[in-house]
Amino acid sequence: MLLAIDSSSGTSAAIFNGKAMLSHLVFEDPFGHAENIGQAIVQALSEAGISARDLTAVAVGRGPAPYTGLRVGMAAGIAFANSLKLEIHGVMVLDAIAHFATGSVVVTTDAKRGELFVAAYENGQRVSGPSVISPQDLLIPEGYSHITQGCDAQMVGQYAIAALARGVDLSDVSALYLRSADVTPSKGKRVSG
Amino acid sequence: MQVRELTLEDLPALMELERELFSGEAWLESSMRSELENPNNFYVGLFDQGLVGYAGLSSVPSSFSADVQTIGVDPRQQGKGLGRKLMQLLLDRALAVGAEAVLLEVRSDNSVAIALYKSLGFEQIDLRKRYYQPSGTDALVMRAKIRQPIVLGIESTCDETGVGIVQGNRLLANALASSMDEHAKYGGVVPEVAARAHLESIGPVLDKALLEAGISIDRVDAIAVANGPGLAGALMVGIGAAKGLAVAHDIPIYAVNHLVGHVGADVLERGSVQLPTIALLVSGGHTSLLLVRDLLDDVELLGETIDDAAGEAFDKVARVLGLPYPGGPQIDRLAATGNPKAIRFPRGLTLPKDMEKHRYNFSFSGLKTAVARHVEKAQDEGVEISHPDVAASFREAVVDVLISKAVAACKAHGVNRLLLGGGVVANARLREYAHEVCAREGIELRIPRFSLCTDNGAMIASLGAQLIMNGRKPSTLHFSAESTLDVTEVQTP
Repeated sequence: MLLAIDSSSGTSAAIFNGKAMLSHLVFEDPFGHAENIGQAIVQALSEAGISARDLTAVAVGRGPAPYTGLRVGMAAGIAFANSLKLEIHGVMVLDAIAHFATGSVVVTTDAKRGELFVAAYENGQRVSGPSVISPQDLLIPEGYSHITQGCDAQMVGQYAIAALARGVDLSDVSALYLRSADVTPSKGKRVSG
Repeated sequence: MQVRELTLEDLPALMELERELFSGEAWLESSMRSELENPNNFYVGLFDQGLVGYAGLSSVPSSFSADVQTIGVDPRQQGKGLGRKLMQLLLDRALAVGAEAVLLEVRSDNSVAIALYKSLGFEQIDLRKRYYQPSGTDALVMRAKIRQPIVLGIESTCDETGVGIVQGNRLLANALASSMDEHAKYGGVVPEVAARAHLESIGPVLDKALLEAGISIDRVDAIAVANGPGLAGALMVGIGAAKGLAVAHDIPIYAVNHLVGHVGADVLERGSVQLPTIALLVSGGHTSLLLVRDLLDDVELLGETIDDAAGEAFDKVARVLGLPYPGGPQIDRLAATGNPKAIRFPRGLTLPKDMEKHRYNFSFSGLKTAVARHVEKAQDEGVEISHPDVAASFREAVVDVLISKAVAACKAHGVNRLLLGGGVVANARLREYAHEVCAREGIELRIPRFSLCTDNGAMIASLGAQLIMNGRKPSTLHFSAESTLDVTEVQTP
């Protein structure tokens, strides 16, 4: 049994038994990750009628996504899995979103600061991205459809189950920021004129 | 029936009942008085019109055991479970003070009492022949073990990822990862850099703490996490991990105040924080002066910095002098050979005009500017100045204002204790000057070991444990990061 956690847009948790989803809890509030993460997991477990001890693996959305919220779900998933000695899988959220599309697609999500996270897929295979771009640089090639929806735990879980069955390596559970920490060392300035 | 702690005002009633119960073997009034006066003792009474029962427990802080001193119930009220109630109050108290065992002596012919103690978990561990005089009756020595809660605490308010584990007042582990080196090139803590480092470190530090404590997570009774004050993005990593652990193991979670955690760290050194105390917390993020009357219920913020934290001032002045981050140790080293009286740098918010509004507040921004001006002026004029003198004079100005205001707070509030905490406590001159002034003023100075002064998970675990030991309910799962959490909010519900 797998617990999927995602905090790349809202905060959500889902439980899967094989391919069957037993529960899916979503808190939409885009600023309530720290508040909601515990409740999302607890309710997903209780709606599925299982306890944490019944789980064998955890999958976490590893972004790209706005950092502060993303880290809440990842920290919870890592601590949860580590302490119960469960397998942990990292899911690139654009891959999870694209997993539900057919044909050729460009997936974009809000990267804040007027930018977008973007990746393109052909028949389920990523052909470019993930990267961060400004909206005017977004190009949807002929024959591609454009998906703009956010990710959630259902997508993370379903993608992880399918990807693992195909032998995809999901062992990287580091956060995908795609941007540096936005700081440049200052040289220090004079105080006297 | 009223239950309350006994004071010296209860002594006459207490002696009356004591004499009635124990006649020839009753304690002298002078003994009973000194029992009540002893700060290590807890005497509780049951009142129904007058005193109908009493009991006393003695526990020396840091001893990890407690002794039942006495227990007595009015003969007219016996058989109503009052003895059990009193014993339960003593056991609750023993848990609260961190005792891992409670010992008592009982007359070997008092079968009613022995049965009561056995039902409360006491076992006979020894026999003392002819212990009670003049009757010559034997005493059984009995002991009850108390299971102190094991708490895992997470700290991520700034640039240290800390996971500590305590059992009651006992320190089991204090694991730490710091992102300080990553901040060095920026000359100060960068929130996003810190938050990223927390996420990378949290798993390994958790594992390290459990290994250090030599326990499996299944034995942990509760999780504690600092939910403020601090950097929001950094706090949220700790909160996410803490909630993940709590729900994975279905154990309670306590959201605790980071600053109060610093005060509570001394529990791990001496078994209790001697109260009341003035606490001066000085780090790269905080400069706070607190009056603590009760660790869990009565913490008052007397003052804090209105601009830079003291540690930040050290970092900024270090840069002015061309020294790397973190500035504290660099300035300390350079100052060792300098003259602290060479330059009279300003003492922020100490002028009479500031004292009304800012008596216990601090300001280091003007001081930093004064140092920068001094150095720039010398450069512009091509004058060579002694950097050790600048460092020593700057450090003296910081230390002087910190300790002077802390000592003034001690005097104004009639509190002759001062507790230091925070990373700036590493500063040699701060410790030296604090010792000097406190010795002169008759103030007891407490400085926990350095690993408990800097940000750490053990102090968060310890504050969580104190809440549990005192019967406080856990926080709900809904609490959030509070970057400006008020110091009066010891626990977020």
